[in-house]
Amino acid sequence: MDEDLIKDNAMQRARAAQYVLSAVGIDFSYENGYKVFENINIDVGQNEFVAIVGPSGIGKSTLLRILGGFLKPDRGSVYLFGKPIIRPTPDIILIHQSIVTFPWLTALENVMLSLKVRNVSDEEAEKAARNALEMVGLQGFEDLYPKEMSGGMRQRVAIARALAASPLVFLMDEPFAHLDELTAEGLRQDIYNILFSPDTPLKGVVLVSHNLTEVVELADEIYVLNNVPATVVGKVHVDLPRPRNPRSEEFNQILDALYNYLTPPKVKKL
Amino acid sequence: MNEILLITLATLATAGRVLGLILISIFTGWFLAYAAIKGKIFENIYISLIEVFESVPVISFFPIVLIIFVTRIGGPLGVEMAADFLVFTAVVWNIWIGEYQAFKTVPREMLEVAENYQMSFLTKMRRIFIPFSYPRIAANLFPSVSDGFFYITVSEVFSVGIHTYQTFGIGTVLDSLVASGQTRLIYIDLAILAVVIILIIIGLREFSRYAVSKYTVDTDAPIIRRGRLNVKQTTRLLSVVARNPLSRLAGYYRSRAISRPPEVFEKHEIRKEKISRYTSIAIGVIILGLILYSSVDLIISVPHSEWGRLFSITPRIVLYLLYDYLRVGVILAISFVIAIFLGYYLAMHSRAEGIGVPIIQALSAYPPPIYLPFIFAASFTAIHSVLGAFTDEFYVLSLGFVSTFYYIFYSFWMGVKALPAEYFEVMKNLNMGYFSRMRSIILPGTFPYLISGISSTINSAWGGLMIGEYWPDIVAGRSLEVHFGLMKFIDVQTNTGNIALAGWGSFIFGIVVAIYSILFTRRMMDLARKRYVAEEGVFAA
Ligand SMILES: Nc1ncnc2c1ncn2[C@@H]1O[C@H](COP(=O)(O)OP(=O)(O)O)[C@@H](O)[C@H]1O
Ligand SMILES: [Mg+2]
Repeated sequence: MDEDLIKDNAMQRARAAQYVLSAVGIDFSYENGYKVFENINIDVGQNEFVAIVGPSGIGKSTLLRILGGFLKPDRGSVYLFGKPIIRPTPDIILIHQSIVTFPWLTALENVMLSLKVRNVSDEEAEKAARNALEMVGLQGFEDLYPKEMSGGMRQRVAIARALAASPLVFLMDEPFAHLDELTAEGLRQDIYNILFSPDTPLKGVVLVSHNLTEVVELADEIYVLNNVPATVVGKVHVDLPRPRNPRSEEFNQILDALYNYLTPPKVKKL
Repeated sequence: MNEILLITLATLATAGRVLGLILISIFTGWFLAYAAIKGKIFENIYISLIEVFESVPVISFFPIVLIIFVTRIGGPLGVEMAADFLVFTAVVWNIWIGEYQAFKTVPREMLEVAENYQMSFLTKMRRIFIPFSYPRIAANLFPSVSDGFFYITVSEVFSVGIHTYQTFGIGTVLDSLVASGQTRLIYIDLAILAVVIILIIIGLREFSRYAVSKYTVDTDAPIIRRGRLNVKQTTRLLSVVARNPLSRLAGYYRSRAISRPPEVFEKHEIRKEKISRYTSIAIGVIILGLILYSSVDLIISVPHSEWGRLFSITPRIVLYLLYDYLRVGVILAISFVIAIFLGYYLAMHSRAEGIGVPIIQALSAYPPPIYLPFIFAASFTAIHSVLGAFTDEFYVLSLGFVSTFYYIFYSFWMGVKALPAEYFEVMKNLNMGYFSRMRSIILPGTFPYLISGISSTINSAWGGLMIGEYWPDIVAGRSLEVHFGLMKFIDVQTNTGNIALAGWGSFIFGIVVAIYSILFTRRMMDLARKRYVAEEGVFAA
């Protein structure tokens, strides 16, 4: 039955239409011949926070870029509400691991970049940008330049810029990796409420990370990537009430389950 | 057949002159750079001098140099030295500053290793400093070669008053071929020069690739770059980074502030340090002294009555200079617009880039003064019927354009290549259109590169004007000549043997250009450093 589903494009699309984002049967190799993935399947349901974990270098960033249409898979497709994604779109916004801001623009101007492209008037754009900055907790810092901000504030600017584009999906590539632990924890605690506040049209989030605690803290569904080429070696559903307590027993049971999937990667002999 | 041999030899002589002088620049630059990083006083003198000389086009003080070499040394040697000097000053600044920056940015850890092993001066040079400078030298060789070839026609044959001086080379041979109207040989001559230049460019590209892949320190490597990452591409990008004009300035300003590691030495070590410091101060003082001496010498040799004439003519010189700045402005505007469209296109399309950039490099090294007369001869009637009185102006501006376009194009192209890959992803992600990309991201993000390209473009535009504004008998029976222009003024005065006036003109010109460069270029560079460093917009990238 599963086989037929993948072969039959129409059925595949019909199935994908039930999800916010759905990646089906993805294979990918880099131009130098390095095969990163084999048959990856990932679904993001309505208002779902999905996390992808795996060791460094396994292909998490590559996968996010495929989900966003930045890279074309060799096989398989990515669907947004059943519509194939063939190029990057403001409906799916990527947040980089290396925090990206434009040093010649103030925080407000950085955020307004997202709005310039959607034919809105200048006042409206500014209002929406201020609103986005407020959502990430940067009200009062609109006129600072990125260089005058800490790493955590810069990442908040990047997130506000992403929010201002009113995307349906957020793709986050280890967004806390370049922050110190205290700042990261602060932002982590905020992020869920920011993303799923009623003010955003956001329908789903994919977070990539190698930090298992972070992932259990945030996600509804966790995909574990391992081996070379990478495949989904496990999928863990997290059904704990938020805010979650990393010291609770259930939390640690889930952590243990994840650790078990992440034994040293098997390299497929070619 | 004999003529072809002669032409080949002449081409080789010219190429040898350019390449030989480049080698001399490289070699001397190493020692000067070492002296500069060892001694503050010498460093300040050295860098300021380079900055001024880099921004004053050599050609403008050529008349003064001419008299010194031709009258004081005289004979074929004096003429050869004058030609060499002109080419040398065209190639040297780039290379010297590049080596200095390289030495200044040798990682602290490497220096500590050297101290730890108590390496001798020569070992340090051979094992650390010199290898470390290769990538930057490689990057600076392209503009140096272009600049060197640019002046061959004017440096090999020149006239002062009724005397014509020449030294063996392609410029001289071409001059006599043109004089005797041997069309076929002229074409062969141009073709052989083209082949030699293409070979040199290919050689440089290879060297550059090798130098960057072998001698670039990994920690400078960008973590991800646009699209797919492979060794070849990384290499090219690194060579781009190596010539980042910002890391250039940032390089020495930053490291000036960093304090050296604590120096705990034995007594004789301290003495050695002191000696090397005194040596570098001494070299600095000697250079300053030489400059002072020659200026004073010149001033004394001018009689009092002459001074009066010089002062009275000054307002006219300033007016002429305004005309020339206007021309430079036009050339710059055209170059800028073309560079931005072409540079962005090439940076985004790797296949077009693979062909386009080497072609532009080869074209830029092929000296326009060599081929302009032929284009002039072929197109004059047609252009004249359209432009009428502006025809000469058109050719002058075109000469300025072809001799200078390359700099701004190349800098901008490198700036785009050096933008973080993430920026391109954000632009794609937000679906930004062409003009909004340009305005909000590409132009600001390449601002430092643009500034350095603009200032090189302005500097070398003067060379084109110097040659174009007054060109007697560019083709038989017709001269290329503008109505007003300081470069023309200097040319005419030199040609009529009025060296004092020519010298005065270049002196005023030099002062204005130096002031301009200090006020404008530096200020813009400061601004660029403060806000427009794209690399700093991406955390840890
Ligand atoms: N442009 C590229 N060309 C070839 N291989 C690449 C490229 N980018 C990444 N890789 C390789 O693909 C693998 C996955 O990289 P990445 O997606 O960045 O991993 P992760 O984000 O999980 O750390 C790594 O082994 C990396 O070396
Ligand atoms: Mg990654």
